[in-house]
Amino acid sequence: MAIHQRNDWYDLTRATNWTPSYVTEDELFPDEMSGSMGIPMESWEVYDEPYKTTFPEYVKVQREKDAGAYSVKAALERAKIIEKSDPGWVTILKQHYGAIALGEYAAVTGEARMSRFSKAPGNRNMAMFGMLDETRHGQIQLYFPHEYCKTDRQFDWAWKAYHQNDWASIAAKHFFDDIITGRDAISVAIMLTFGFETGFTNMQFLGLAADAADAGDYTFANLISSIQTDESRHAQQGGPALEILIANGKKEEAQLKVDMAVWRAWRLFAILTGPAMDYYTPLEHRGNSFKEFMHEWIVGQFERSLIDLGLDKPWYWDTFMEELDSTHHGYHLGVWYWRPTIWWNPAAGVTPDERAWLEEKYPGWNARWGQCWDVITENLIADKEELTLPETLPLVCNMNQLPIVGTPGEEHWDIKVHTIEKDGRLFHFSNEVDKWVFEQDPQRYEQHMSIVDRFLNGDIQPMNLQGALEYMGMEGVAELGKDAHGYAWIEKVKANMKKAS
Amino acid sequence: MAFDLEQKPLRTWSHLAKNRRKPSEYDIVSKNLHYSMNNADAPWEQAPNSPMNMWYKKYRNETPLKHEDWDVFSDPDKLVYRTYNLLQDGQENHVQSLFDQFNEREHDKMLEADWVLALAQLYTPLRYVFHALQMSSTYVMQMAPASTISNCATFQAADLLRCVTHTAYRTFELSTTYPDMGFGVAERGVWEDAAHFQPMRELIEKQLASYDWSEAVVSLCYVVLPMLAEGVLKPLSEASRQGNDTLMPMLIDSQLHDSQRHQRWATELHKVLLADNESNEAVVQQIVDKWVPLADAAMDAYISAIPNSPVSANDAIAAAEKVRRDITGAA
Ligand SMILES: [Fe+2]
Ligand SMILES: [Fe+2]
Repeated sequence: MAIHQRNDWYDLTRATNWTPSYVTEDELFPDEMSGSMGIPMESWEVYDEPYKTTFPEYVKVQREKDAGAYSVKAALERAKIIEKSDPGWVTILKQHYGAIALGEYAAVTGEARMSRFSKAPGNRNMAMFGMLDETRHGQIQLYFPHEYCKTDRQFDWAWKAYHQNDWASIAAKHFFDDIITGRDAISVAIMLTFGFETGFTNMQFLGLAADAADAGDYTFANLISSIQTDESRHAQQGGPALEILIANGKKEEAQLKVDMAVWRAWRLFAILTGPAMDYYTPLEHRGNSFKEFMHEWIVGQFERSLIDLGLDKPWYWDTFMEELDSTHHGYHLGVWYWRPTIWWNPAAGVTPDERAWLEEKYPGWNARWGQCWDVITENLIADKEELTLPETLPLVCNMNQLPIVGTPGEEHWDIKVHTIEKDGRLFHFSNEVDKWVFEQDPQRYEQHMSIVDRFLNGDIQPMNLQGALEYMGMEGVAELGKDAHGYAWIEKVKANMKKAS
Repeated sequence: MAFDLEQKPLRTWSHLAKNRRKPSEYDIVSKNLHYSMNNADAPWEQAPNSPMNMWYKKYRNETPLKHEDWDVFSDPDKLVYRTYNLLQDGQENHVQSLFDQFNEREHDKMLEADWVLALAQLYTPLRYVFHALQMSSTYVMQMAPASTISNCATFQAADLLRCVTHTAYRTFELSTTYPDMGFGVAERGVWEDAAHFQPMRELIEKQLASYDWSEAVVSLCYVVLPMLAEGVLKPLSEASRQGNDTLMPMLIDSQLHDSQRHQRWATELHKVLLADNESNEAVVQQIVDKWVPLADAAMDAYISAIPNSPVSANDAIAAAEKVRRDITGAA
């Protein structure tokens, strides 16, 4: 045999720990960057990544993947997906690229944190491939939307969003900087790869790919499912790190990081993927509902991987299950109402047929969110658009940085704001879980200012909505979010009313 | 800036739209991506005094090398992810076919006995060196003030993993022909204890533990990588011919392609540094002066252990110095 099998020599690629003597182990792996919880280097050497690859295999496979993704794009260049698609679909593209592209690029830094500072040699090598993967995801998700710049100023936000103080930008950065760039290596392994990538990336990259293919956007469907093949590989870095922590008596610390990451991921995806799946995607192209996808990818698969590792379901699991029915409906209502403050055009998604679908997927939807949409609809029919637009900023949570929403009930909103008062400052939270996350790490969270804090501090001038829009990075009117369909859906409501009367 | 009521779509990202030149694929996907450079008080979206914000403020924002606009840096090779894989898949096909053919012809059986010993002492332990420089490059990546610089460091780190992989492969292969020479088992001991590696290990450990970004990038790219190319790979390549090792020079040749690319981006970085701020030259010089003696000692010890080395330690030290002069544009 002329070429040796990978198995024969793979272990040598990760036999790379040595005992330093010119500097100390702590100087080589400072705790704030390594996060090894006092577990010494040799105990990390048993780390065994379940998915193995090597440099020559990697560049070959990835070269082929890219050839595929780029050639689909080139072949479909003339499909004019932007001109021909429903505006609801176009808004998903704007929202996705803005919220994801530079976050992916930031993940190169998170992978580099592991590649430099993990004490596990296998982790360091896999994270090197992870760095390359995330470079791919950042670059390809800039390259693909770039050609849309000329169609619409909002596509500039694919590059621009993370550079701004838009509330949605702040929320995305606050989350990703908490699990990717702003953490030590082992925390990244747990919070980014295990907590986030194992489950939640499936939601965005596979769930949305199904809808994209159905909507005829094969370029996007192909792109994001190709990205997910990388995610599902490098997501496997967290598992063996967790095994080592548990074996060394650090289960409680590991569980805490998992619980924090999963909750935080849930919040961001509830506002990002929830409305995209249940409201923006044109009805005829919807597959599963957001809740059904969540059950498939998070509740089913993720729960199993937690238990397999010997971890527990997060303590807030019951609250989480309840929120699958409600949170993203409230977020959608908030995003649509505060639409000038975002870079995509939210589709209301509440024509009679769509409401029937929502009622079927979420029994009781009409009695709760439906009544709010009734008011909006009536105002629009009566030509009172101004009553459907904001004049101020929403109250936002000091943990997730998102608007605090409740569930409208028959008589009142069950909106209960959880607060902490500390050193004369009042912190607001969406619920007790967000408050709990905040309390776990005051040094990381307390001195951060939410957009509302900044407003009240006078950092935003003039102190009105226009001042806030400019502070958020809106340079002109074409960037402001609008109703995706220019209220055309109102006609369907009117037609339905006529039929009924 | 006035709020634009008649805002028109742009042909490219707003940050590139002011350029007259049509943006390239490289510009579109590489430029100006580090949002952590926007807020000096809190690089990451968390409390300004969080541990990671303190780390970045101290080691990146307050680093002695200064530039008004780091994003002007461009990789002279204009590599993007897509083209990096094209490039290295080509190189790896070449290396794999070398491995294949030399194995077919029982290359390793024809090695001189002395050279086999030298390989165990000088070559196979290098996986620790390559890996350490891979680690160092990932640090330069995560702390760099521009995404274009970070990307060069990412590809450089991957290149060094590539060298780790070649070395691991050859280590195993040698162990099949020479099962009793310690191949695959003795390298850690050699790296940690053999006299000829200790100055290099001192350099590498201290370099890895240098967290200021200026110090990290200059010591790695101006000093340690030139040492690797001139003081390790080239002398090893030259010496291998005497031991009937015809594979080694061809393998190293492929690795040196990467080294040359590393030197190109370091050269470009130096140009960008000098163009913006005169004080950068002294900063670079100070860091170079601090690290060169360690690197020279490392080359001296390493080369003195190469049997009948055709390249003397002084030749290598001079060659590394020449690389540095090329990087800095000094005559
Ligand atoms: Fe990714
Ligand atoms: Fe990822």
